[in-house]
Amino acid sequence: MLSAQIESNPLLFPCHFQAIFVGFDSKPSMTPDALGSSILSQMTKLTSKPPQCGTCSTNYSIAVTVDSSLGCIQTRNLEDTSSWRCGSMGTTDFSDDEGVDKALADSLGGKVYSVVVVHGDREEVRAVVGKYRHAWVVGRVSEAEAVARAAEIFVKVFVNGGKEEGLIHGEFMPVGADGKIVLSFNLLNSDPQDWVYDWDFQSIDETLLSPVIEALESVANISVESQVLYHTPKSSFSHWDDEQESYIFSTKDLPFFVNSNEWHLDTSIAAGGRSKILQIVVYIPSARECPLLLQLPNGEISKTNGFISPMWGGVIVWNPKDCLKDSESQHPLRRTISQQDLQKVFEVVMGQFRQLFGLKSNNVYVGASGTSSLLASERGFTEWELDVLSRQHTCFNLHSCATTLGSLSRLVQSLPRMIIMDEIGKQVMYSLEAATLARSNASLGLYDSSAVSSRQARYLAEDAFFHPSIMSVSYYSFEHCFAVYSPFFLPVSMHVLLAALREWRRYKQENKKYLAWKTKVKKDS
Amino acid sequence: MRFKMYGSFRCRMVLLLLFLLLDCNFSNCLADTSSEATTHTNNWAVLVCTSRFWFNYRHMANTLSLYRTVKRLGIPDERIILMLADDMACNARNKYPAQVFNNENHKLNLYGDNVEVDYRGYEVTVENFFRVLTGRHENAVPRSKRLLSDEGSHILLYMTGHGGDEFLKFQDSEELQSHDLADAVKQMKEKRRFKELLIMVDTCQAATLFSQLQSPGVLAIGSSMKGENSYSHHLDSDVGVSVVDRFTFYTLGFFERLNMYNNDSLISLFSSYNPSMLMSTAYYRTDLYQRHLEEVPVTNFFGSVMEMIHTDSAYSLLSRKESFRVEIKMSADKSVPDKKRLMDNPSDLDQISELNIEREGTCGAGSTWRFKTYMEYYTKRDGKSRRC
Repeated sequence: MLSAQIESNPLLFPCHFQAIFVGFDSKPSMTPDALGSSILSQMTKLTSKPPQCGTCSTNYSIAVTVDSSLGCIQTRNLEDTSSWRCGSMGTTDFSDDEGVDKALADSLGGKVYSVVVVHGDREEVRAVVGKYRHAWVVGRVSEAEAVARAAEIFVKVFVNGGKEEGLIHGEFMPVGADGKIVLSFNLLNSDPQDWVYDWDFQSIDETLLSPVIEALESVANISVESQVLYHTPKSSFSHWDDEQESYIFSTKDLPFFVNSNEWHLDTSIAAGGRSKILQIVVYIPSARECPLLLQLPNGEISKTNGFISPMWGGVIVWNPKDCLKDSESQHPLRRTISQQDLQKVFEVVMGQFRQLFGLKSNNVYVGASGTSSLLASERGFTEWELDVLSRQHTCFNLHSCATTLGSLSRLVQSLPRMIIMDEIGKQVMYSLEAATLARSNASLGLYDSSAVSSRQARYLAEDAFFHPSIMSVSYYSFEHCFAVYSPFFLPVSMHVLLAALREWRRYKQENKKYLAWKTKVKKDS
Repeated sequence: MRFKMYGSFRCRMVLLLLFLLLDCNFSNCLADTSSEATTHTNNWAVLVCTSRFWFNYRHMANTLSLYRTVKRLGIPDERIILMLADDMACNARNKYPAQVFNNENHKLNLYGDNVEVDYRGYEVTVENFFRVLTGRHENAVPRSKRLLSDEGSHILLYMTGHGGDEFLKFQDSEELQSHDLADAVKQMKEKRRFKELLIMVDTCQAATLFSQLQSPGVLAIGSSMKGENSYSHHLDSDVGVSVVDRFTFYTLGFFERLNMYNNDSLISLFSSYNPSMLMSTAYYRTDLYQRHLEEVPVTNFFGSVMEMIHTDSAYSLLSRKESFRVEIKMSADKSVPDKKRLMDNPSDLDQISELNIEREGTCGAGSTWRFKTYMEYYTKRDGKSRRC
């Protein structure tokens, strides 16, 4: 069936691209078809062979529009005509990225990956990738360079998500087997004798976190918890640095930082057995170590003071303002983290969250033909990044589902006497149905729904495999059987055997007597 | 079992059909997975003591000693599953209530603060043990009782108790068979619940318990071979029973000798066992393990690893920061926690020596920190270990 093809044909999605060239008035040789084919050849060069799961299938469809003062020319074979309005880029101010992004979103529609190349007067070429599904290149570009840039943006950014090989490793897929993630936010006061901090998590949750959670709905079902802990020192050390006038801990200390003995982070009630918990820790150092800064191997001080551990979560060290300690009062100082500080901390949290999902936390893509800057989205992830995540997670989930079901069937095969409940059979059926649905959605290019169905498939497969009734414990070794049953059967069988022997002997005797009698009767008659 | 055949038969047919249909994907699938190089991301430890009754005190002490060692080297409680079949610390026959010793000098109390027992008493059964290994729990089982390992985990499985030829006795009433253990490990491997597994068994005829293993990535060592017994080390005349087994005693001795300058490999651990001192032959099998033992540091199983990646920039809406990405992979060589720490931090803790709890040679400053904070907030602790 369809799930048998999962491994033989890696899951590829159909992708549509469009490129728009504006302002190339002086080059009449640029016909849309020529441009289209040159972009196509560039893109084919850039894609890895064989294509990775989750990337685009090799027959790209590229629509090219050339917008010049003579009017718009488009490539011939378009299934759906481009919604580009000719001449609409004339009065755009390219220094305001957000405005350009919005304008392009309005005019392009945002469903097809697009690159707009605008031939301007400025010498330096700038490339910006927007929040939706389009990018633009402005400056004095030659035709070849424009084509190279467009191809690179298509393949490296939109398809591969800004990574070289386009594949997110399993350690950056922090979604639990039941499709849930629990984000646990912990504010750690390492020494409450110095100061005690509190935070207004509710407001942050409503304003900053909920758009992000909503954005990632198709990839994972996320729930959020928060807690404030006290008396949570770290287990690594720091030293005083006069130059920086602060306490420094280096990257070598990072693995020792998380003091799992004192930090009781894993106390979530919401997390079921198979959800994944990601711990986001905001650590407030004690007065003895304030301010605490992270020094990178090259000697620089970290701007974020934060680090992550894949599949576990992230830590940010937040230093109280001026490290003031009111040494007169006996009671520890109770303060609340101000909204601005909290906002800054949450920006770092967003960066860490993206890192945990395998994306970069910075906003630059450096490619072979130049640097592009990536616009940031208030939802934490731009549309094209969400597409990349959906595709990769669909791939991963289907792969995991197939292996799980395979293991389950091997297990069932190897235990002939095991009782398999009907429920498990039903779960396997549903899982296969969901996987089929995911594949069909994928072939239609519906990233979000295929991600949701693949998550469902994986969840059901895991449920079936980990059903508590399949316990293959067998005490019935031959010796055991023998030892248990022989006291019952041996004595009885002994008697039965003896009786049988006796009967047989008696039969023989009687038979002999009968034959003797018969011959005597014959002789007499 | 027989009378449920019909229901199971139908289910079985369905599953067999699916199996045939999924058949084609196996060869491709397996080829894919075996060539994937997963990175080692975390360490887990499953420590099982299977004996009841007061005269099996030494098995409890064995397990608790190893628990303490593994915690000292960095594995946190949330990644340790500790199964103790009986309670020695609060046993009515224990002259030193709430204390468990593994040496007659009584220098170290193994049952001190911060002992988190996940499965205790009658919960330690063969079925629960297999549920932990394979992950097949009821829905209501809390996370602390589950082995939540993944494909990047190294798991240390330590079992001690009374054993024999191809079995290990649980609770004096049931047995763990070697083929069941091999089966559970096979299922774990299929579901990719570990990257590497180290099985240490301290029972009589220990080597037979892992004789049926066939999954790759498994390393196993037992305290004695078939036909040999494993012996206890010494008798504590005060407590009245033997307090530690020889194999575990020499294992702990090895870890005490570790210092920061020689991060020993597994081969040095395995060859440190002297058959004349153990009075049995410590046998290990490496045929299922791909790496060479000389290259594997002991902290790969006994310590803790957390791969840390620096966050180079915040994700903000308004400003765009350009920075580089620094990726650091660290293996926490926690054999001595105080390696290369710069101790001139003026606010650092003074050496706490007034506490009369023994710290062996490799105790690091990390532990002294813990002591001071314990003193400060002892009353705030929620009393995880039982007080008698």
